[in-house]
Amino acid sequence: MNRWLDRSITLLILALIGWAGWSLLHWLLVGADWSVVTTNLPLYAVGSFPADQRWRPLLWMAVLITLTLLTLVGPKRGWVRRWLPLAWIAMAPLGLWLLAGGLGLLPVGTRSWGGLTLTLLLTGGSGALALPLGILLALGRRSDLPVLRWSSAGYIELMRAVPLIAVLFFGQLLIPLFLPPGLEINRVLRAVVAFALFAAAYIAEDVRGGLQAIPPTQREAAAVLGLSPVQTLQLVVLPQALRIALPSLTNQAVGLLQNTSLMAILGLVELLGISRSLLANPAFIGRYLEVYLWLAAVYWLACTAMALLARHLEFQLDPVRSSR
Amino acid sequence: MRRRNLFIQLGISIALLALLGLLINNLAVNLIRTGLGLGFGWLARPAGFALAESALPFTPSDSYLWALTIGWLNSLKVIVAGLVLATVLGVAAGAARSSGNRLLSSLAGGYVALIRQVPLLLQLLFWYFVAFLGLPAAPMGGLIKLSNQGIQLLGLNLSVEFCAVLVGLTVFTGASIAEIVRGGINAVPRGQWEAFRSLGLAEGLGLRRIVLPQALPAILPALTSQYLNLAKNSTLAIAVGYADLYAVSDTTITQTGRAIEGFLLLLLSFLLLNLLISGGMAAFNSAVLGRLNRSR
Repeated sequence: MNRWLDRSITLLILALIGWAGWSLLHWLLVGADWSVVTTNLPLYAVGSFPADQRWRPLLWMAVLITLTLLTLVGPKRGWVRRWLPLAWIAMAPLGLWLLAGGLGLLPVGTRSWGGLTLTLLLTGGSGALALPLGILLALGRRSDLPVLRWSSAGYIELMRAVPLIAVLFFGQLLIPLFLPPGLEINRVLRAVVAFALFAAAYIAEDVRGGLQAIPPTQREAAAVLGLSPVQTLQLVVLPQALRIALPSLTNQAVGLLQNTSLMAILGLVELLGISRSLLANPAFIGRYLEVYLWLAAVYWLACTAMALLARHLEFQLDPVRSSR
Repeated sequence: MRRRNLFIQLGISIALLALLGLLINNLAVNLIRTGLGLGFGWLARPAGFALAESALPFTPSDSYLWALTIGWLNSLKVIVAGLVLATVLGVAAGAARSSGNRLLSSLAGGYVALIRQVPLLLQLLFWYFVAFLGLPAAPMGGLIKLSNQGIQLLGLNLSVEFCAVLVGLTVFTGASIAEIVRGGINAVPRGQWEAFRSLGLAEGLGLRRIVLPQALPAILPALTSQYLNLAKNSTLAIAVGYADLYAVSDTTITQTGRAIEGFLLLLLSFLLLNLLISGGMAAFNSAVLGRLNRSR
């Protein structure tokens, strides 16, 4: 009886997969027109960056992909491996310099930034701001000082109660209102700040989970060794807590990358935004499925690469493995 | 030591207050400059825009307050429907992933892996522009009438926008719930499965009556946070033109320029929604735990 049920489920699924595969194949052969993707590849990659300067964002992405490949499948030891962490840290300033220009390069306004480059820059920039802020908030929430504890908890709970799109929208509207008159910061920077303020609250909760997992004996042992509270935090507690929090921090990072797509609603031409303006072009009218499948593939690849990199880092930081 | 702590706290309080004061001062300067000021009198003024979809009667001459209430009800509608459907889909997919059938479990695994690595906004756009607007203009089907004008389900008329948001939220949240359910089921000792099998219970009945009730205490807290995520994610409805709370707030703020007040109202509405969801789940949680403890 049970075996028959099992077999009929298997047959049903096979029939479903067969039908779906057949319709997809039929669409790919007869219905699909990929010109909306193939003729616009530079737009997806770099947005409306000036054509003669396109090599700059493209170079940055090429370096990024090379680093990813080197980290994941490169040599296991030697000088390449030793320089990798430094190279990763240098990616953010390198990207900013290549995109914004200056120091010998032609300046390019943020208005012309776009495509996958902008998506990656938004992710990297807001992540780099949110992580330290999140760690500070987590420490604040676990502090012995009531004022610090309450204000951190209040900030975290408030941010976690509101939807991200509201934070981003009001980031664009309100940040100028709260700044002194005359001081203006541009749209991309406002987006990065709003993303960072939002993500920090979620990162704080993940880090707090890591902090809670550290047994109190670790602090006591550090105190016995004569370490100051700051040293204890820096050398004993935080390294362990962050390692424990790493899997959930990875999820946050992948979520951050996906959430940068929300800026399309607010008018930035990152990967999804540029596709929306392409679909509004009469030449590509109705080519939704092609564009969405292509975007899904790009996002899927970027998210998977990020998750793999994070797993690699987890493996590197594993004390059992590295003590061998 | 205590005195030092007190001084540090005083310092932090002063710094926070100074920061707050600086921000409020800047805000006041900017508000005076733009001549807006703060106040909620505008809520009673006629909204002047139409809403495509409303649970209660609404005309453009009704007030902004009423428009926001309609938006709140529209949000509530899609959130409640989404919670129910996502739970059903998630439990089914989670159970399928831990089932013995290889094909079924890998199909569920593929669903989770695909859906979680693609942005929700992209999925919503797909459901709206490709799946629902791609339907034929003339209604097809019997009990459920499908067309790109709307869905008719047993006399219930659903708009295409509502359906796209509902399906998108359900499929996206269902994948996360599937992972939670799988984790909860895996946490139930294998002996429980072997016990109900040796008693001769059917697989589905054993899962429903023996395994899932024991998995619930591990599942419920994580489920609550997924429900809250679904509520927050429902604001992406603006991308497909569904008149939810956020979309109405957005239009209101663009028309009136009342960003601060609009933000405060949105914040309050979401706090209310969050309280409803987490309060309901807390009651459910304690009921489940109580029943479980009594049956032991």
